[in-house]
Amino acid sequence: MKGRSPWYLAYRRLRRNRAAWAFGGLLVAIVLFVLAAPLWSHGPADTGPNATHTTEKVGVDGETREVVNREGKPIGPLWLGAGGKFFLGADGRLGRDEMVRLMYGGRTSLLVGVVAALITVLLATVLGLLSGYYRGWIDAVIARALDVVWAIPVTLLGAALGLALAVGGLRIGPLALSGDSLWIPILIIGIVYTPYVTRPIRGEVLALREQEFVEAAVSQGAGPLRVMLGELLPNLLSTIIVFFAISIANSMLLESLLSFLGVGVQPPNTSWGTMIAEGFELITSSPQLTVIPGVMLLLTVLSVNVFADCLRDALDPHAKLRLEAHAGRTEPEGTAV
Amino acid sequence: MGRFIVRRLAGMVAVLFAVSVLVFTIFNVIPNNDPARQLAGRSAKPQLIASITEEWGFDESLPKQYLTMMGNIFTGKVISYETRENVDERIVEGIPETFSLCIGAAVLWMFFGVLFGYLSAVRAGGLLDRVLTVVAVTGISIPVFWLAAILLNYLTYKLELFPSGDYVPFTENPIDWAYHLVLPWVTLAVVYVGFYSRVLRSNMLDAIDEDYVRAARAKGLSERRVMTRHVLRNSLVPIVTLFGLDFGALLGGAIVVEGIFSLNGIGQYAYESLINLDLPPIMAITLFGAFFIVLFNTLVDIAYAYLDPRVKLGESAQ
Amino acid sequence: MRKLHTALAVLGLVAAVLVLSSCGGSGGKEGGTLSGSYASFPELDPTIAFSVEGWTAMYGTYLPLLTYKHANGDEGAEVVPALAESLPKISPDGKTYALTLRKGLKYSDGASVKASDFTASIERVFKLNSYGSSFYTDIVGAEKFAETKSGGIPGIKTDDKTGKITIELVKPRGTFTNELALLYATVLPAGTPAKNLTDDPPPATGPYEIVNVEPGRGWTYKRNPQWAKSNAAEIPEVPSGHVDEIDISVIRNQATQVNEIERNKTNWMQTVVPADLYNKVKDRYVGTQFRVEYPINVYFFWLNMSRAPFDDLKVREAVNYAVDPKALERIYSGTLAAGHQILPKGVPGHESFDLYPHNMAKAKALIAEAHPSDREITVWTDNESPNDDAGAYYASVLEELGFDVKLKTISADVYFQLISNPSTSNLDTGWADWFADYPHPNDFIEPNFSGNNIGSTNLSHMDVPKLTEKIESLGEEQLGPQQEDEYASLDREIMAQAPWVPYGTIIVSTFVSKEVDLDEVVFNLLLGQDLTSFQLK
Repeated sequence: MKGRSPWYLAYRRLRRNRAAWAFGGLLVAIVLFVLAAPLWSHGPADTGPNATHTTEKVGVDGETREVVNREGKPIGPLWLGAGGKFFLGADGRLGRDEMVRLMYGGRTSLLVGVVAALITVLLATVLGLLSGYYRGWIDAVIARALDVVWAIPVTLLGAALGLALAVGGLRIGPLALSGDSLWIPILIIGIVYTPYVTRPIRGEVLALREQEFVEAAVSQGAGPLRVMLGELLPNLLSTIIVFFAISIANSMLLESLLSFLGVGVQPPNTSWGTMIAEGFELITSSPQLTVIPGVMLLLTVLSVNVFADCLRDALDPHAKLRLEAHAGRTEPEGTAV
Repeated sequence: MGRFIVRRLAGMVAVLFAVSVLVFTIFNVIPNNDPARQLAGRSAKPQLIASITEEWGFDESLPKQYLTMMGNIFTGKVISYETRENVDERIVEGIPETFSLCIGAAVLWMFFGVLFGYLSAVRAGGLLDRVLTVVAVTGISIPVFWLAAILLNYLTYKLELFPSGDYVPFTENPIDWAYHLVLPWVTLAVVYVGFYSRVLRSNMLDAIDEDYVRAARAKGLSERRVMTRHVLRNSLVPIVTLFGLDFGALLGGAIVVEGIFSLNGIGQYAYESLINLDLPPIMAITLFGAFFIVLFNTLVDIAYAYLDPRVKLGESAQ
Repeated sequence: MRKLHTALAVLGLVAAVLVLSSCGGSGGKEGGTLSGSYASFPELDPTIAFSVEGWTAMYGTYLPLLTYKHANGDEGAEVVPALAESLPKISPDGKTYALTLRKGLKYSDGASVKASDFTASIERVFKLNSYGSSFYTDIVGAEKFAETKSGGIPGIKTDDKTGKITIELVKPRGTFTNELALLYATVLPAGTPAKNLTDDPPPATGPYEIVNVEPGRGWTYKRNPQWAKSNAAEIPEVPSGHVDEIDISVIRNQATQVNEIERNKTNWMQTVVPADLYNKVKDRYVGTQFRVEYPINVYFFWLNMSRAPFDDLKVREAVNYAVDPKALERIYSGTLAAGHQILPKGVPGHESFDLYPHNMAKAKALIAEAHPSDREITVWTDNESPNDDAGAYYASVLEELGFDVKLKTISADVYFQLISNPSTSNLDTGWADWFADYPHPNDFIEPNFSGNNIGSTNLSHMDVPKLTEKIESLGEEQLGPQQEDEYASLDREIMAQAPWVPYGTIIVSTFVSKEVDLDEVVFNLLLGQDLTSFQLK
């Protein structure tokens, strides 16, 4: 019987999964949508995400209307009534184009989510490998450090760090980040979620370590680095991939929460979270400003979560990655609070 | 066993200590944040700022300031920089609301999480399963604060189905107490319901393959009996552990939900203190929250060690 | 005949009764419980509270020697006697103030009010490092007491038997009468502890006392029994209050506060109606439950004159021409009364003028003339809506003028300490507001433009020795028509230097439920709604 690589088999299973197609497609559509931001901004909308139009007027189907009326109420969605300008209306008293901001904001939300997830997964893999392979005092030190981060409620820690760094930026040796750099929320979110991913990876490493092929490699004279990277890591890949996907979802939700509280993405950058915060102030008079970015965020996170599920089913149909209570430690999957 | 417990408790204290040092460092690293200026108020004269700096000890070394603050927290004397009120008293005031919120939400999510998970597993692959899965995954994907804002705007302001604002103590009127808390409970529970139902479903589906289930079936027990008595019961164990851990971390969700629904609990106090960069309450509340997280973690550890001797041995091999 | 006499007598009696009962006021009922809401929990210790929220809460509870008249509009700026018999007698050299305590006054716990309690109360201001300390440091010996916290204040002499109080100042201080009427100078019993008593407020001398405090959650007032018994007759300037009890709860979500009033669950909200509901509420309830009020404040953008590019007068003038008040009115959803001068309406010495009417073309021309080399500027603003939008708008205006702008939005609660801290870098320009400590022009001008206040309240770092001297010397004079004129011309002189771009005054509102008689509510321009004026229908 011809052997098939497990990756190919996983790919086949994924291909057969209808939910994967549906939500994967939705995700691709959303990504294309936000990537089209410069096209829309320079094209039909004819404005940038931060350009204010408080005292301007716009021509709609022949009549001229104020972008922001005297009482401070922004104009509602015009759809194509003004040739694409203010497609979704204005975003508040500053009269910025909501559609343009939605697209640029989406880029930021996705960027922060993906890069933070990348950092989480990278750190978790390194720490998981080290503590699982070496055990002993290295494991103990890493475990205690992660315990401390784990002990502080995610929101509190993220908010405290975000606030502290937003005011003055970060300066460690040669590294200098200004308070409004996107790297600050990215790093904070990436680090805050690390303990939750490290534990399961560590658990897997501990289990893999006992297996024969590892013993074989060691007896052949392979050093720790070779064993970790050559033998252990390849077997971790499916776990890592699934956690990467899940982390994207969690990171996007945490970013939006921190931005809503004012301690995440800082102006002039905009994200769906900051848009929800701004819309919240006008929720009674212009609810669309809160609903629209929230729905976009929901759809994106939903697509990522469903796709992550499908990935997991494809890579490991026996659900080896179910949540295991290993020595009392579990990883909350998809929990954002 | 005794030694194990003592070790874990000692670990608990060590973690809390590290947490306090971490929080203290974060806030003292902020450039240009001078607590004396905060206390003095806007547009204060330099003499006033100097006077406060001296009296409150802000010119002393950081380790000394840290010890003073920790001492104050544990003796109930710590004062907020922003409002000059007693932090511990304010936290105690907020406990009824925050606990009402968290416990109510927890009961709700456990009930529906288990129910949906059970139904999903029993009817795995069918329409009900698919529907519940969609509901569950959507629940996991909703931003909590957004849901709170939407529910508040449409169900409370526009449709007036629910009361807005104010907390009615349980002792005053249990019905009213619950009525005022329904929306906050639902908001907090939604995410966890989704998550727990999927975990339960997954565990139950795995358990169905196990030997003891086959044995039970062979004995002639009804399917229903098999599912509830054996599969469900064994699948609940990891759920209970998860619950222990998630409950401890509820404070994070409370921070946002309390503000939107005007509940004057600890979460709201945490939010205010954060935006004020007010270190004493932030320190006290973080320790309060961390205490619960670490406590539940430790209890779960101890329970596991009790139930599964292998864990203890594994520990000592490290 | 007899029957007619009797009938006429009865008719007369009935008429008399009718006339008398209608003279008793608007016809609203006395008594009842008023429920109110605040969006944040203020300090309830009069010596410490430095926000309007705290002052509104304590205006009807704690009395200093003098107080502000319980009246609407400009009348509220008048200082009237409270615990003192009359306004102070000021010596010709302006350094001695003589007052007499009224006889027979009692605190809510039954103890008698003594003249020496005043000294202890002022000492408490310093012991607590209260924000109000700076108003009383000119008393002889006060500065030393502020540092050492011991030795008493020799400049205050009191006689408990006669009730005489004599205050000696180090130098004349034209604003001192106003400062004696502030809540910081509330007379409290001599033994009152020197710590924040918000959780358990000290005894009251006014018509109401605070009987129960739940920190963070709310507090309750009841009528002060000693007011009716001992104080009311002595102090006609302070009204006795209509309702028997006032319950205040803290409701953080302002939209919820509005909702509660519309549903008649709460009678009054101290907080301003939030911007996005403002026009809806105004349209629906103006005249019946909603009224616009004019407190004294000024909103502005400050320009740091000590560094480029705003060290150039032409650049500052250009910015003043470039800012468009119409845009800002929209940003504030109609809650802004636009203005381009420093002193707002209601402050003596106010005159409305505009040295720089909006003209973008002229602004750009001035910039071209000035040709500043440093085009990189940082604009600061706080994150409270709509100030953050105002800051963003201002940044976009500066960009249009050709500057390379970086906008920094800072949390509202640390904003001011950050921008007044000399060690913060890149303080070029930004948003700010100024709410008066008391309705006196000096309180607007001296802190913001005197060269002595650079590094604290003088955000534009204005340092023109001639102007500083004029400000300080004018501050020593008592306020009269001549001084008011001089303050008005000082306003112009300062604006000619363009250290600020003032853009107007924020108007607030009184919003009550349908159970409350709106016409009876008094709004003092400094201290906010007067709790003693609330009456249920």
